Amino acid sequence: MRANDAIAGLVLIILALGMILLTADFPSFPGQKYGPSLFPRILGTGVIICGVLLIAQGIMARRAGAPWVEIAPWVTDGWRATSFLLVLAMLLLYIFAADSVGFIPIAILFLGGLFLWLGVRPLHAALIAPAATLAIFWFFSSILRVPLPRGILTNIL
Amino acid sequence: MDAIVQAAGLIFQPQVIWVILLSAAFGLFVGAMPGLTATMATALLVPITFFMDPVPALGAIVTATAMAIFAGDIPAAMLRIPGTPASAAYTDESYAMSKKGELDLNLGVNLVFSVLGGLIGVAILILATPVLAEIAVSFSSFEYFWLCLLGLTCAVFIATDSPLKGFASLLIGLAIGCVGIDPAAGHPRFTFGSVEMMAGISFIPAMIGMFAVSEVLRGVVSVDAQPVPLQQKVGNIFRGIGTVMKRYWWNFLRGSGIGVLIGALPGAGADIAAWISYAVSKKFSKEPEKFGTGHIEGIVDSTSANNSALGAAWIPALVFGIPGDSITAIVIGVLYMKGMNPGPTVFLQNPQFIYAVFIIFILANLLMLPLGWAAIKSAKQMLRVPRNVLLPLILLFCVVGSYAMTNSFYGIVLMTVMGVVAWLMEEHGFPIAPAILGLVLGELFEQSFMTSMIKADGVFAVFFQRPIAGTLAVLTSLLWVGMLWRAWRTRAPATVTATPPA
Repeated sequence: MRANDAIAGLVLIILALGMILLTADFPSFPGQKYGPSLFPRILGTGVIICGVLLIAQGIMARRAGAPWVEIAPWVTDGWRATSFLLVLAMLLLYIFAADSVGFIPIAILFLGGLFLWLGVRPLHAALIAPAATLAIFWFFSSILRVPLPRGILTNIL
Repeated sequence: MDAIVQAAGLIFQPQVIWVILLSAAFGLFVGAMPGLTATMATALLVPITFFMDPVPALGAIVTATAMAIFAGDIPAAMLRIPGTPASAAYTDESYAMSKKGELDLNLGVNLVFSVLGGLIGVAILILATPVLAEIAVSFSSFEYFWLCLLGLTCAVFIATDSPLKGFASLLIGLAIGCVGIDPAAGHPRFTFGSVEMMAGISFIPAMIGMFAVSEVLRGVVSVDAQPVPLQQKVGNIFRGIGTVMKRYWWNFLRGSGIGVLIGALPGAGADIAAWISYAVSKKFSKEPEKFGTGHIEGIVDSTSANNSALGAAWIPALVFGIPGDSITAIVIGVLYMKGMNPGPTVFLQNPQFIYAVFIIFILANLLMLPLGWAAIKSAKQMLRVPRNVLLPLILLFCVVGSYAMTNSFYGIVLMTVMGVVAWLMEEHGFPIAPAILGLVLGELFEQSFMTSMIKADGVFAVFFQRPIAGTLAVLTSLLWVGMLWRAWRTRAPATVTATPPA
C-alpha cells in the first residue's frame, strides 16, 4: 500500500506542527537565548518544508496520472493480508498478556499460531514451537538472567 | 606495546574464542539468508552481547558483520538474490557467471577478495585511527558540529536516490532523538509523563524494530515464495583464483581503496561502496561491454570494496563517535553501554580495547577463509531453511531481545512502533538509514550545536573561524550546493538517477 507523496507530506506537516506546538511550554532560562525548544523547532520547520515540497511533488505526480493510493496486490489477498495483521496481533498479544500468563505459554501460542497460519506442517509446528520456546527461555533466563515473565508457571519453575 | 599484549590476553581465551566462532556461524547464516542483513545481525546480537564483557561483545559484532557481508555473496550467485544489500551491486553479474557454469570461480573470488579487502580495511583502520585521534583531541564543539552535519549530509546526499525523502527521513530520526532530557538545559521533552521515555528512545529496541520487525512484516506477505537454488554442484572454489589475482590486482587495490574511503566517510557504508566501485570498475575497464554478462572484473572490485568498507567504517566511529554506517551506529550504542565512550579519549583511557578490536578484525578476516569455505559447501542446505519457520522465530527473538534491553515491556512497545514506522517509511520510498543516523547522532549534534550557539552568542561567523571547523564547513556546504543542484537538475525527483537505492 503506497499513498501519494502529497498525503505523506501532509502527514509530516501535521506531525511537525504538533511537535512545534508541544515545545510551546518548554521553559526558557533568564540570560540564556537558546533553550530546549530551539532544536526541535528548527527540525519541525525543516520537516514542514519537506512536507510542502512532497505535496508539490505528489500533486505533480497526480496530474501525471498517479493514483492517490496505490494498493499492493497482497493487500487484497486474504491470506497474505491476514499474515501481515497476524504478526501485529501476536506482538500486541505478547505485550498485553505475557506478564500475567507468562512467557512460555504465550511464546508457544505466538510461534505455533504464526507457524500454522504461514503453512508449516502441524506436526512440525507442534514440535518446533515448544522446543524453540524452551530454548529461548533457557538461554535468556538462565544464561543471560533476563527476568522473562513467568506468569501462571511462577510456582512450578 | 603493553596495551597490545594486554589486548591479546583479553582475546585469546577459550570463552572469547567460542563467542567469536559462534558469532561467525551466526553471521554467515544471517548474511546468506536473503532478507536478513548484516545490520539486522548486529541488532539481534546486541541484547546478547549486553551481558558480556566489552571484548567478547565487540568481538561478536565484528565477526558476525564481517562474515555476513561476505555471505551475502552466496545467494547472489545461487539465487540471484543478494543476501545483504552490500552484495546487490553485483548480484546480476554473479548469477550470470553461475549460469555460464562458473559458480565455483565466482564463489572463490568472492571469498578470497572479501578476505583480502577486509584485511586492507583493517590495515587502514589500524594506521589511521591513532593519527586522527591525536588531531581529534583538540576538537571543540564547532568541529563536532560540522562533523555531525557532514555525516548527516553524506547520509542524505550519497545514500539515497531521492534527496528530499532522505532529508525528511533524517529529520524524522533527529526529531525522534529529541525525546528525553534535552542535552543543554536538562529539560524533559516529549516524554508525556513517562519515566522510561525520560531516558530517551532506547536505541537498540528501536533498531531491532526498524531493521528486523519491518523486515518480518515485509517477509510474511511473500512467505510462500521460497527461492530455489541453482542445481549446480560446488567443486573446488579455489581453482583459478591465482590467474584472477594476477590479472586484476589493480582492480582489487582500487576497489579496496574506494571501500575504505566510502566506509570512512560518516554516513555511507558497504552497500554504497559496492555500487560505486562496481561503477568505477566498469567505467575504467578495457572491456566494459563484458559487464553484465558474467564477467569477473567488476566483482573483484566490488566484493573487495564492501568488506574493506566494513572495517573503515569503524574509523569515524572510534575516533569521533560518529558512525560510518548503520552497523557502527549500533556499535556506538554498545560502546556507550560498556562505558567506553567513543571519541579520542578512548585511545588514552582504554587503548587495550581498541587494540582488541583491531586484533579481532584481523582474526575475523582470517577465519573467514575456512569458515566461508564451509558456508559455501553447506549453502544449499542453509538456503533450504523454510522462511515460514524462520520469520516467526526471528520475531520472537526480537521480542525477547528488546525486552532484555529495557527489562520491561516498554522495549517491546517501542520495537513494535518503530517497526511499523520503518515499514511505512520504506513502503513510501523514505530510506531508513538517514533516520537511524539522525537518531544516533541527534544528541551529539544538538549538544555541539547548542554549545556552539551559546559560545558564538548568535554570531554565526564564529562557526567558521577555527581552521578545521572552517574546512569541514566548506566541505559540508559544497555537498549541500551539489545536492541542491542535483535536485534542481532532475526536478522531477521521482525519476531514478544513477545512484542505487540504499
